[in-house]
Amino acid sequence: MKVRSNTGSSVNAPSLSGPAISISDVHKTFVLQHRQAGTLKRAVLNFFRRRPKEYKEVLHGITLRIEHGESVALIGRNGSGNSTLLSLIARVYKPTSGEIKRDGKIAPLLELGAGFHPDLTGQENLELYGAILGMTQEELARKYDSIVSFAFDTPDLAEKIDTPLRNYSDGMKMRLGFSIAIHMDPSILIVDEVLAVGDEAFQQKCYRKIEEFQAEGKTIVFVSHDMHVVRQVATRVLWLHRGTIRMDGPVDEVIEAYMLASEKPDFGDPEIKS
Amino acid sequence: MRSELAELWKFRSLLLQLVRRDLKVRYKNSRLGFLWSIAPPLMQVAVITFAFKSATNFATGIDNYSAFVLVAMIPWTYFQAAILDSSQSILLMYGVIKKVYLPREIIPLSTAISNFIHFLLSWAVFAVYWWGFKRGPILITTFWFPYLLLCQFMLVTGLSLFVSALNVFYEDVKYMVTIAMNLFLFLLPIMYLVETVVYKSSFGSGSFATRPWAVTLYLLNPLTALINGFRKSLLESPSPKAIGGHEYLPLDVPTLILTGFISFAVLVAGYAYFNSRKWQFVERP
Repeated sequence: MKVRSNTGSSVNAPSLSGPAISISDVHKTFVLQHRQAGTLKRAVLNFFRRRPKEYKEVLHGITLRIEHGESVALIGRNGSGNSTLLSLIARVYKPTSGEIKRDGKIAPLLELGAGFHPDLTGQENLELYGAILGMTQEELARKYDSIVSFAFDTPDLAEKIDTPLRNYSDGMKMRLGFSIAIHMDPSILIVDEVLAVGDEAFQQKCYRKIEEFQAEGKTIVFVSHDMHVVRQVATRVLWLHRGTIRMDGPVDEVIEAYMLASEKPDFGDPEIKS
Repeated sequence: MRSELAELWKFRSLLLQLVRRDLKVRYKNSRLGFLWSIAPPLMQVAVITFAFKSATNFATGIDNYSAFVLVAMIPWTYFQAAILDSSQSILLMYGVIKKVYLPREIIPLSTAISNFIHFLLSWAVFAVYWWGFKRGPILITTFWFPYLLLCQFMLVTGLSLFVSALNVFYEDVKYMVTIAMNLFLFLLPIMYLVETVVYKSSFGSGSFATRPWAVTLYLLNPLTALINGFRKSLLESPSPKAIGGHEYLPLDVPTLILTGFISFAVLVAGYAYFNSRKWQFVERP
């Protein structure tokens, strides 16, 4: 079987010699465009008027090493660059400058079931989403039963796999999406607040799966604003503030400092004047 | 570009899945679904045949006018549908590419490929009609048919890549494409023969087509060359009456070779433009 990965490297399994993720001096700048989305007409006019574009740098030189087997939580208030950093690791964005190296296959759980089509059946969507995540057809065929039984634990739910997805509840779609993503056998899991899916029983199942991942020495990077989740899952916490790393260390220490700062106006940041 | 192609190859499984999804959604799991999607161009051909036979003399001297329209309508429908579909393709998958990494060119490529498959199926319908029912002759020029298919695939795919990327940033692109499509229906030799335009310029009747450079430009349009090429590779010449006693032009090999080069250049340029913009898709404000 041909080996294939989501990371651009030619290996499926991590080499384990270096870090799982190494980020060196990554900057990310977005172009700000005010008001409406562009039209070609406007673009032509602006070209002649030479209106300068406005830029906003959201990450100011992040350097970071995440070892294999670590579970890193990214915390920080909204707009500090957490989700941008996560998207950069998942290769949704390209860094403006700097470099990100990933060792191993990445499962991006930024949104579960991205790409589900309502007119296709559960099975067809399973094949499609699996392919989006980089799984081959024979791999999907092999894991098919396991994916379905993890997503739908009762037979009456499992029967629905042959019906169009528009008959599914949101919770069921999430279950299917989560089940497919974890079955791609990743070595790095990228999660953005999506662990709160499904009912209580399914959430417990998700956490058990995550613990299983940790026991297998896999790497997890996630964003969460829920400190209970952070305490339960993380082994290391990274506090991002205004696009830079404010603190990086053991879970309790960072959370304590973060909670203390969050009580102060502007997180006790002396640079903010407004 | 080499590394981009290698990355694309790694994701071929996804490309296959997306093409399958497109065709499945289009044919909605029923055999009637295919009939439905082939019906509009056939009805167009029927209406054009009726209207042009009764109201104009375009059809005089052409024994199988509807076949002449059909061989032009099939490549035209493919061109139109593929470009319109792909112009929307990135935006339809926007939710995915904002959350999951995948080589983005897979998206317009899958629309272009599924439309190409539909294009091939339409030719199968033509084959049944023309060689099956009408007992049409098989010509030596039909040898060019696969080459024409390849040229049109390159042309359409290149333009699809270009339009799909442009449409992410500029909202008015889809309106411009729609307008252009409406104009091209008349600018291309679909309802009439290319000879009509060529000989009109020597009639000196004062129309726009009397200017030789306009005729040259018209003939150089790769889509004109392809439609004309399909027609001449599949159907035998009509009687000289059809073109006012003038000679029916044979399959124009030098123009077709030039069209091959143009189509390939469009494909490469379209892909290069797409690659230069693809990382900005998700950063669209």
